[in-house]
Amino acid sequence: MDVGRHPKIELLAYSEVEEVEGDLGAFEVTIRKKARYVDESKCTGCGACAEKCPTRVPDSYNEGLGERRAIYRYFAQGIPSVYTIDPNACRHIAWLRAREEGSNVKVKKCGICEKICQAKAIDYLQQDRIIQRKVDAIVLATGYEVMNPRDITEYGYGKVPNVITAIEFERLLSASGPTSGHLYRPSDFVGKRSIPDHLPHAKRLAFVQCVGSRDKRYSIHCSGFCCMHSIKEAIIAKEHDSEVEAWIFGMDIRAVGKGFEEYRLKAESMGIRFIRGRVAEITKGKKGLPVVWYEDTKTRRVQSEEFDIVILASACLPSKDASLLVEKLGVELDSFGFIKTRPFAPFDTTREGIFVCGCARGPADIPESVAQASSAAARVAQMVMRESRKAVAQ
Amino acid sequence: MNEVERHILVIGGGIAGIQASLDLAEMGFYVHLVERLPSIGGKMAQLDKTFPTNDCAI
Ligand SMILES: Cc1cc2nc3c(=O)[nH]c(=O)nc-3n(C[C@H](O)[C@H](O)[C@H](O)COP(=O)(O)OP(=O)(O)OC[C@H]3O[C@@H](n4cnc5c(N)ncnc54)[C@H](O)[C@@H]3O)c2cc1C
Ligand code: SF4
Repeated sequence: MDVGRHPKIELLAYSEVEEVEGDLGAFEVTIRKKARYVDESKCTGCGACAEKCPTRVPDSYNEGLGERRAIYRYFAQGIPSVYTIDPNACRHIAWLRAREEGSNVKVKKCGICEKICQAKAIDYLQQDRIIQRKVDAIVLATGYEVMNPRDITEYGYGKVPNVITAIEFERLLSASGPTSGHLYRPSDFVGKRSIPDHLPHAKRLAFVQCVGSRDKRYSIHCSGFCCMHSIKEAIIAKEHDSEVEAWIFGMDIRAVGKGFEEYRLKAESMGIRFIRGRVAEITKGKKGLPVVWYEDTKTRRVQSEEFDIVILASACLPSKDASLLVEKLGVELDSFGFIKTRPFAPFDTTREGIFVCGCARGPADIPESVAQASSAAARVAQMVMRESRKAVAQ
Repeated sequence: MNEVERHILVIGGGIAGIQASLDLAEMGFYVHLVERLPSIGGKMAQLDKTFPTNDCAI
């Protein structure tokens, strides 16, 4: 990723847009650069601080399946490659705040990372900074949110052990994840200080499609990419360990895209099973493992099957993180809550000078998000240059 | 044509925002890329590999 080094890109990570005024050709933007409590210009990213930090919190990058420290890097290869202190977790910041408010100081001071840091980059008193930028146009690429399937009570997420979401499963498969890519059942290690030795590998996997999608009770839209990511995850799991048995339960498989149908056929030839039918319920079996209840519409029978891990392909939803911003910008949403566009101006929002691409405008996989981003960039160029020609003519 | 530098704000540093920023910068615009989280990458940074080629996500 060259974004961090490009001479014509100012990367403002850990920042949020507070205010936008003006119109196409003359927007004034107020941005809050949140305090990292680490001086970005001094931090070398060595990580000595995090090694010694005594405060552990669930790691959001690993979807809570692992832990990180109060001083952390969002992920190892993250750009910019500087550390950040989580002010809600750090004991020292809590102590400083309590002392300043004069309230009863219950927490003990810490300050270990400041002592460890050779670069003298730690600054517990750093403040948010407000900066102003003038821009000609705005591109919204605020993405999406993975639905939390807790509300779909019949699927037991959060209650039946080893029922997880597909994004959690991605972290389990990843070499940089909490298990270094070993496929263990979450119930065997989550919440433990370290991964126990000699854990059994998960062998039986169930993938449940359309969780919250194509479902009148939640979202009627198709999330588009989940059929493919479940096939991918099943293939990867099987490539890790040929003894893995993977079943994919869905009403139909939507493999629309270049090379996608071939990919599905490859999965079939590897022995991955496709069961046509919507899963009715997931319960906890006698051994504590999840049991999937389903109707096989090909055999017209209601059946059940026990698995080590059940993976829910939960829906791609409009991002709650972006809703406040979207409201401030005054761009309209479509009936699903994604940013509204028109069929013949697919990257223009309802406000002139503001464009949109990727999952912020609706579900899209990576190749499509990339294509949309390039299209939106071209559209920006067209509009901005037209405005500037108009200005010259006047 | 122009001597005036044009500035664009991109909000969101997932794959879509990254690609839009790179394209705009290559066209000669000055880009300000704002990301909420400590690092860019979005959901793609959490993926192990990607379909349909199984390339590594990062
Ligand atoms: C389990 C799973 C597996 C997948 N596997 C694949 C795959 O193998 N291949 C594939 O092609 N696709 C896959 N996808 C789809 C892929 O995740 C999306 O296509 C892609 O991430 C969309 O990119 P985006 O930039 O639009 O959104 P995002 O990745 O959501 O990025 C949006 C960014 O904007 C930031 N942001 C949000 N709100 C604000 C705000 N208010 N201010 C500033 N920043 C903000 C976010 O922090 C984030 O960094 C998978 C999806 C899931 C759920
Ligand atoms: S992509 Fe597949 S699993 Fe996802 S909502 Fe559409 S049909 Fe259901």
